[in-house]
Amino acid sequence: MQSNIPVPDLDPVSLPAPVWLLKALLLLTFFLHVIPMNLALGGGFVAAVTDWIGRRRNSEYHLSLARSLARILPIVIAFTITLGVAPLLFIQVLYGQFFYTSSVLLAWPWLSVIVLLILSYYGFYLYSFRWEQLQGKRLVIVLASAVLFAAIGFLYTNNLVLMLTPEKWAAMYFQNPHGMHLNFSDPTVVPRYLHFLTASFAVAGLLVAVLGLLKRRNDSAYGRWAIRYGLLWFVIATLLQLVVGSWFLLSLPNAVRAIFMGADAFATAVFALALVCSFASLVMMVIGFVSSNPSWKLITGIVLIALTIICMVIVRDIVRGAYLERYFDVSKFSVEPQTGVIVLFFLLLVGGLGVIGYMIRKVVAAR
Amino acid sequence: MNYPIWDVPMIGGGLLIGIISIIHTYVSQFAIGGSLFLVLTERKAYRENDAGMLEYVKRHSRFFLLLTVVFGAITGVGIWFTIGLVHPSATSALIHIFVWGWAIEWITFLVEVASAFVYYYAWDRLDRQTHLRVGWIYFWAAWLSLAIINGILAFMLTPGQWIATRSFWQAFFNPTYSPSLVLRTAVCLALAGLYALLTASRLKQEELRVKLVKYASRWLAPAFFVLPIAGIWYISQIPPLAREISMGGAAAVTIFAGLTILFSIIIFAFVYLGPYREPGKFPFSFSVMFLFMGLLVTGDTEWVREAVRKPYIIYDYMYSNAFLVAHRDQYLREGSLASAKWVLTKEIGDANMMAAGRDIFDLQCQSCHTIDGYNAIRPMVKGWPEDYIDHQLENLQTLKGFMPPFLGTPKERRALARWLASLNGNEATGNIYIGEPSPGSRDLTQGDRDAK
Repeated sequence: MQSNIPVPDLDPVSLPAPVWLLKALLLLTFFLHVIPMNLALGGGFVAAVTDWIGRRRNSEYHLSLARSLARILPIVIAFTITLGVAPLLFIQVLYGQFFYTSSVLLAWPWLSVIVLLILSYYGFYLYSFRWEQLQGKRLVIVLASAVLFAAIGFLYTNNLVLMLTPEKWAAMYFQNPHGMHLNFSDPTVVPRYLHFLTASFAVAGLLVAVLGLLKRRNDSAYGRWAIRYGLLWFVIATLLQLVVGSWFLLSLPNAVRAIFMGADAFATAVFALALVCSFASLVMMVIGFVSSNPSWKLITGIVLIALTIICMVIVRDIVRGAYLERYFDVSKFSVEPQTGVIVLFFLLLVGGLGVIGYMIRKVVAAR
Repeated sequence: MNYPIWDVPMIGGGLLIGIISIIHTYVSQFAIGGSLFLVLTERKAYRENDAGMLEYVKRHSRFFLLLTVVFGAITGVGIWFTIGLVHPSATSALIHIFVWGWAIEWITFLVEVASAFVYYYAWDRLDRQTHLRVGWIYFWAAWLSLAIINGILAFMLTPGQWIATRSFWQAFFNPTYSPSLVLRTAVCLALAGLYALLTASRLKQEELRVKLVKYASRWLAPAFFVLPIAGIWYISQIPPLAREISMGGAAAVTIFAGLTILFSIIIFAFVYLGPYREPGKFPFSFSVMFLFMGLLVTGDTEWVREAVRKPYIIYDYMYSNAFLVAHRDQYLREGSLASAKWVLTKEIGDANMMAAGRDIFDLQCQSCHTIDGYNAIRPMVKGWPEDYIDHQLENLQTLKGFMPPFLGTPKERRALARWLASLNGNEATGNIYIGEPSPGSRDLTQGDRDAK
């Protein structure tokens, strides 16, 4: 079996765009997806914990913050899904032969994502729309929704790691063709997942801090408190990330890790830049935490985190490339760009964003 | 062939796609019609200065928000997940042909979701004119996503010139694109009307209820006039074989196609006689029944649409079992096992006929048949001896026009026939397969075990 690893052939239909364009859109839309995804994933837990503290200590601040998060979460999830559709599209066109195969092996758990998502999402709406009526029960609902949402992330990690390891497929398939597998045997799955989960707490903490920044105009004491509370989440999660991130790095196959340790100059540079940015943002946030006027430190920190995420999205792509090196040869694609449709896509994208901008402007102006 | 086959015992992958896509189609067509219903009814409320009606629209908008951004959106992604699992080759082909179509649909999806939120959350914040404009954006974005996905769906039945030219535009604006879009749009409006009947009939205030029930019933009128005409137009554009299957060629499909028409007529007749003529006496329970019948018609129609596409998944390009039409001679010459990546049997000898037969079943038949569940094969070959099965397989495409031809060598056909005969214990000849002891080998009785 080892000598004959079954990897599906490339689709006989030509690629409708150059690889670089599809790759760029894959990475760009993945970046856009990851931001609301982090807010939703971490935000659910932050809301649950904050609400719980608020009810226990009868703290007006905590309850008010949880209420704000409850209002935001459904919208954030909607954009997680909407912006997630695009990378799901582009990954299929570039990496379909890997993605479909690993999906089939995990078919039932993979398909359960849909059910988990519907349940989790309606739970978040319930939390938002029935805040008053539910009282204590809403803690159970928001926590259950957050856990279901986190489970979805875990299934994604399972599939997207299995997709990178074709050498495992045949044994799994011939042992059980019913799509009942998970990918626990891979040592990178758990640390990779925790790496994402930990990051989401940090990013959700930033959302809280930004809410505080906005609320500061009306209620400076509350705003100040929310900023510090949010930054506390960020700082703790980022410190925890030092451990989780290192674990993930160590769990990678030696050959893959080596790329970021000097074997490849570009990969090492991007990875180093990500580390520098995240450390710098940590420093900024700590200063912001103690500062009496944290606005610009917070904003600088957020820009640095955005840079970190961009670098990490690129690092992730390099990891994928390293795993698939033996199986994926870009030069084998036959490319026949559908130029007219591509141009139309970009025109409509500008138009669509314009329409969304118009609506947002109207809403903001009506305040 | 290229991809591992997901073995779904009892229900089979095809039915799974059917279940999810019928739910999605129903809900999303409903949501598209609903968005137009919202904005037009809002406008009507402003024009007639009817506060009660405006309140009614507002309450609706939350429901449509939840329906659009949660259920519609996620079940839509669900179809993608499911077709990728059940038909990876066909999904891959569609993605390669239409990735930019889908990318454009994604833009409309973004706009639709954003406008649904603004429409719902900014009711009291925006001035009337701007709010109405957002409502129109919501509707047009929703409808455009239908107009795009319709091209891809219609393509699967009528790829038209694409087969020769491989042109995106010819694939998209294929022969059934226009009639199909007209049909679906009319259905969207009718479903919105059915839903509005449900909510309107529950209103407490008599005057408003009568007015809205009557108004809602009018939403079925376009469908009443358009469906027969566009239906004939659609049928005139589908491949002759598909027409034949739906009109007598395959009994089940013909019955279902007939039921679609019958149920539609019943809905129209009852809506006309009930809520339209006597809006004051229209009970809530009837509206539930209408809505349920709407679901039946949707499910039934989508099922027929899928069924008439047989024996292809993408007409003239790919058979239902993912074998490419263009490679037909190669399969006949070299066999199907040779190019299959996910089977353990590569060469057929006397010792492994049964194992090979099961593998060939997985490759060629399993996309439509289960062993004992939906479209089960075991009862179909009951009492058939091996030779007879072999003869049937050899002439499959002429005996059963809606099935793909058997695509393999005579030896492969014989192996499949033997395995099929063994399902009912008709093992005429010896060569009983004894499983290989290697950990990778598949248990031959798997199918039987799963069934129990």
